[in-house]
Amino acid sequence: MLAFILRRVGSLVFVVWGVGFAAFFISQVVPADPAAAALGNNARPAQVAAYREKRGLDKPPWQQYLLYMRSLATGDLGRSLRTGRPILNDLRDFFPATFELTIAAMLFALALGIPAGILAAVKQDEPLDLGVRTLALVGGATPVYWLAILMLQLFHAKLGWLPGPGRLDAYLLAPPRVTGILTLDALLAGDWEVLGDALRHLLLPALVLGAFSTALVARMVRSAMLEVLSQDFVRTAKAKGLPDTKVVLKHALRNAALPVLTVLGSLLGALLTGAVLTETIFSWPGLGSYATASATALDFPAVMGVTLIAGLAYSVINLLVDVLYVVFDPRIAYA
Amino acid sequence: MRLKQIATLAVALVVALSLAIGSAQSARQTTLVIGGDWTDLLTIDPGVSYEFSGTVIIDNIYERLVKFDGADLSKVVPGLAESWEIAERDGGGTSITFHLKDAKFSTGRTVKSSDVVFSFERAIQIGGPSSFLFTDVAGMEIGSTVALDDKTVRLDLPASINPSIVLNLLTFNIGGVMDQAEVEPNFQDGDYGQAWLNDHSAGSGPYMLERWDRSAQVVLVANPEYATPGSITRVILRYMQEANAQRTALESGEIDIAYDYTPEAFQAAESNANLKTYKTDTFQMTYLGLNSGPGAPFEDNRVRDAVRYAVDQQAIIDSLLLGLGRRMQTIIPAGLMGADSTIYYERDVEKAKSLLAEAGATGLTVEFLIPTGACGGGIPCADLAAKVQADLAEAGITANIKQTVASELYTIYRAQQAQIVLAAWSPDYPDPDGNATPLSNYDASSIAWRNVWNNPEAGRLATEGATTIDPAVRAEIYGQLTRLVATEGPYDMLYQPYKPIVTSAKVEGFVRSAGGDVELDRISKLP
Amino acid sequence: MTARVPGRQPLIRNKAMRRFFRNPGTLVGTILAVSLVLVAILAPYLAGDPLAQDLSARLKPPSAQHLLGTDQLGRDVWSRVVFGSRISLRIGLTVVAASLVIGGLVGLLAGIFGGVVDEVAMRITDIFFAFPALILAMAIAGALGPSLTNLIIAVAAVSWPYYARLLRAQVLSLKTLDFVDASRALGAGRWRQALKHVLPNALTPLLVQASFDVGGAILTAAGLGFIGFGAQPPTPEWGAVVSETRSFIAEAPWASSAPALAILLTVLAFNLLGDGLRDVLDPRGRRRG
Repeated sequence: MLAFILRRVGSLVFVVWGVGFAAFFISQVVPADPAAAALGNNARPAQVAAYREKRGLDKPPWQQYLLYMRSLATGDLGRSLRTGRPILNDLRDFFPATFELTIAAMLFALALGIPAGILAAVKQDEPLDLGVRTLALVGGATPVYWLAILMLQLFHAKLGWLPGPGRLDAYLLAPPRVTGILTLDALLAGDWEVLGDALRHLLLPALVLGAFSTALVARMVRSAMLEVLSQDFVRTAKAKGLPDTKVVLKHALRNAALPVLTVLGSLLGALLTGAVLTETIFSWPGLGSYATASATALDFPAVMGVTLIAGLAYSVINLLVDVLYVVFDPRIAYA
Repeated sequence: MRLKQIATLAVALVVALSLAIGSAQSARQTTLVIGGDWTDLLTIDPGVSYEFSGTVIIDNIYERLVKFDGADLSKVVPGLAESWEIAERDGGGTSITFHLKDAKFSTGRTVKSSDVVFSFERAIQIGGPSSFLFTDVAGMEIGSTVALDDKTVRLDLPASINPSIVLNLLTFNIGGVMDQAEVEPNFQDGDYGQAWLNDHSAGSGPYMLERWDRSAQVVLVANPEYATPGSITRVILRYMQEANAQRTALESGEIDIAYDYTPEAFQAAESNANLKTYKTDTFQMTYLGLNSGPGAPFEDNRVRDAVRYAVDQQAIIDSLLLGLGRRMQTIIPAGLMGADSTIYYERDVEKAKSLLAEAGATGLTVEFLIPTGACGGGIPCADLAAKVQADLAEAGITANIKQTVASELYTIYRAQQAQIVLAAWSPDYPDPDGNATPLSNYDASSIAWRNVWNNPEAGRLATEGATTIDPAVRAEIYGQLTRLVATEGPYDMLYQPYKPIVTSAKVEGFVRSAGGDVELDRISKLP
Repeated sequence: MTARVPGRQPLIRNKAMRRFFRNPGTLVGTILAVSLVLVAILAPYLAGDPLAQDLSARLKPPSAQHLLGTDQLGRDVWSRVVFGSRISLRIGLTVVAASLVIGGLVGLLAGIFGGVVDEVAMRITDIFFAFPALILAMAIAGALGPSLTNLIIAVAAVSWPYYARLLRAQVLSLKTLDFVDASRALGAGRWRQALKHVLPNALTPLLVQASFDVGGAILTAAGLGFIGFGAQPPTPEWGAVVSETRSFIAEAPWASSAPALAILLTVLAFNLLGDGLRDVLDPRGRRRG
């Protein structure tokens, strides 16, 4: 077990290095000059040259790479060309909003997807099953940005049920920043009004972002349940006269949990991808909008920072999933 | 988690949700919420800022020696300086001596002339994007600003510099005065306090910075030391990238002012009794830059004329902008001295075709470089470009659109490699020279240079206009220059846009100058 | 984001065809996909010029003349959607073809040679898996500049690793089978073995995967187009069309909804097709979602 974890951590380091290298490589083939982006339309050639020198952009690529790797080793991700701040500061500012949104969306996906998948499996080929499967198919094919625009237009502009873009009503004072996760900070400050408003603001973007993942979870749970339900021990349990609900919840669900666990990794990937598109529409100040703004400004140190963080998060989650897998299912042996 | 805990949490959530619906009414009348796309906001440091979004914020935090009165940009009025005089210097050049009024920074300290010297020299030392205004346009250097006593400061200018231009540019962000005693201790790693100034402020204006949550909001609160405070004590600039989001947020009362409205939404708002619409002036010129260098597609002025005849400016203004722009075919925008609204080119496709034939440029195919996002007047650049492309196609010019992010566009443009480019120009200070020199003087390495248009006569006129003091003579020079550039220059000036701004009917006293300044302390809200 | 299922059935059988079409979902998917291809081929006969502007008829609601209304430049939305299908299909098919070739080669190499080659190849795919797909694609598209070709390159760059893993797994599982050993004993070269035995057997799961990926690639490409890293205006690429019409959602909801629905239906079609193929080719996983 320990050897397995060590091996995985080792490959994780390699992955992180690879992500950094790839991002750096991409930044070098850019035809445009980031200095031009930072200084704006009216900048004079002399200013552009001075800026390039100051940021080390005039050095040959291999030197830039060594400098980048050296500071990376000390945990310094460098400075954003666009905002001029240390990238670590930017990430610290933008990460919590994405984290909050992603977790909320994941909770939606699990809370809606798991029961839907179970019901569909239990009522296989009945109208309920067909309904769930259709919804899951449509959910998996809907462009998330369009869903976002549509939902906002409907629930905010037309019906007025839910607040518009942003994380908090402008007239409310945000609680002191502790974690940067607004709902948690409001809870820590005991500010119920802010908590309520933050939740109301979170609802729509989380639902929109979670739609794709809900579909994914429902499909996975359904197929895993079907497989388990057809297995001997479930049949035996049924034959023994245990009530259906109990069989499903006690025996089947536990065994179906394992395959669901494996999608958590891809779920995270899907959510991060979705966040890039959702955050823009909802003016959500997270990593997604930061990445888009950085890529648009060809601010590659910043894009590298985001990819590193996202890659790291993804690898760590997958490692955890793999470890849990081994813990849950000792039959699986890892070399 | 046990069931009981879950139930408790659920109840708590429901209570919290219902509490939120009755939001804090009391704060509403003294809080002003402005929705806009502030993504271009990179800094709140007056010595460095060079973006439009920065102007709205910085001008309300940092007072400048002189300013403009509301939207009237024809003459400068006292700011931190209650009076000033311009004098000839021995050995050539001029000097402006400013007498400071009694004012306090938000830190509680009195504004002294040494703070002015500190702020100006700091901006020069940082060498940020706007520093050329001091060093190139005003010819200032370290030592040019001299504190004569606590309340008097003198600015020495070389002979080639027109002091009235300098007064104009001192109204801009870079002229903002900050508290030396507060800022200096916060210098880090030779950054002159830039990092600190993005989360704190040290100015003497009506507001001070409370917090800047990147990509979420900028919060300003009233400066307790300000002599004549307004009724708004708290201003929140909310990031809303989507024009449609700003529209629904304004209509639902979540924001008081929306900065980015599409022409369609603006038109709808005009007949909405709950909203007020402002077609505010700008000095921006939306134009097509035509590369006129040797061997470039627009080397021959007849080909440039063909473009000017081919593009249907009136249709762009009537149908796309729905009136949020005006025709302006010369390089100096309406509102500045020397502006010339003569229409030199009416649309004439046949004429364009014959000009192309004469120049031997039939079947011309060019790359058409355009930026992402919205162009002047709030229309997507892609739509404007598609319209221009269709017009050019009618005259027989094939323009292949290449939309790129700003940084790439400017890299190509600056390297003189653009063929046709869709771009905009705003003067850095409200003076005709802010357009005349960059757009017509090749040696200024700016727009005329980027389009490889080297016309010595135009360059001479621009320089003469910049240094001439007599307004009548200046107007005469700019008359000649604008005519020359309109008919021979490397541009098709498309239009001068208005900036559409919509506010709630409750907002009173909103005024935006063509330079982008808004005096927030003059705004109030009805209950 | 789909389960990858192994299977070793020969490709087409009559019984399989029957099973394929017995599933209503598959039938719908097939009809959708076929009509999509027909629309793309017959575009010039079904619709007018997708670029023709008419500023006097901007943002007009659907009518007999304009089936899906007009956009902000008075262009016919139906025509833009119809011609957009050519672009989206081209993106989907090219991306999958490129990923198949690149991923397939890497997977084959890794599987056949094993050892260091395998280790390096798999770590490289790990790196690509660890990237959030859209951010990587965005970085690539941003670096190369927006164009249809670069869009295809960017999306292919994030989808090939799936094929590498899939083929490698196939090779590894077949390596243990008797007939491969037998041919090795008879002295067949590594490549001949690969081509003769592995490829035909790997075809089934590859086909299933490819079908899902056509939809996935179209969805990702449209997402990139939406944030401005796609085709150049005024090309009617669906994602870009949704993007450029989205500020008019209040005045003209049809202008952005029509291309969005087109994306939805296309992705749906290929997902259904993938499901159906898997059912037929892999009876074990037949009842899967």
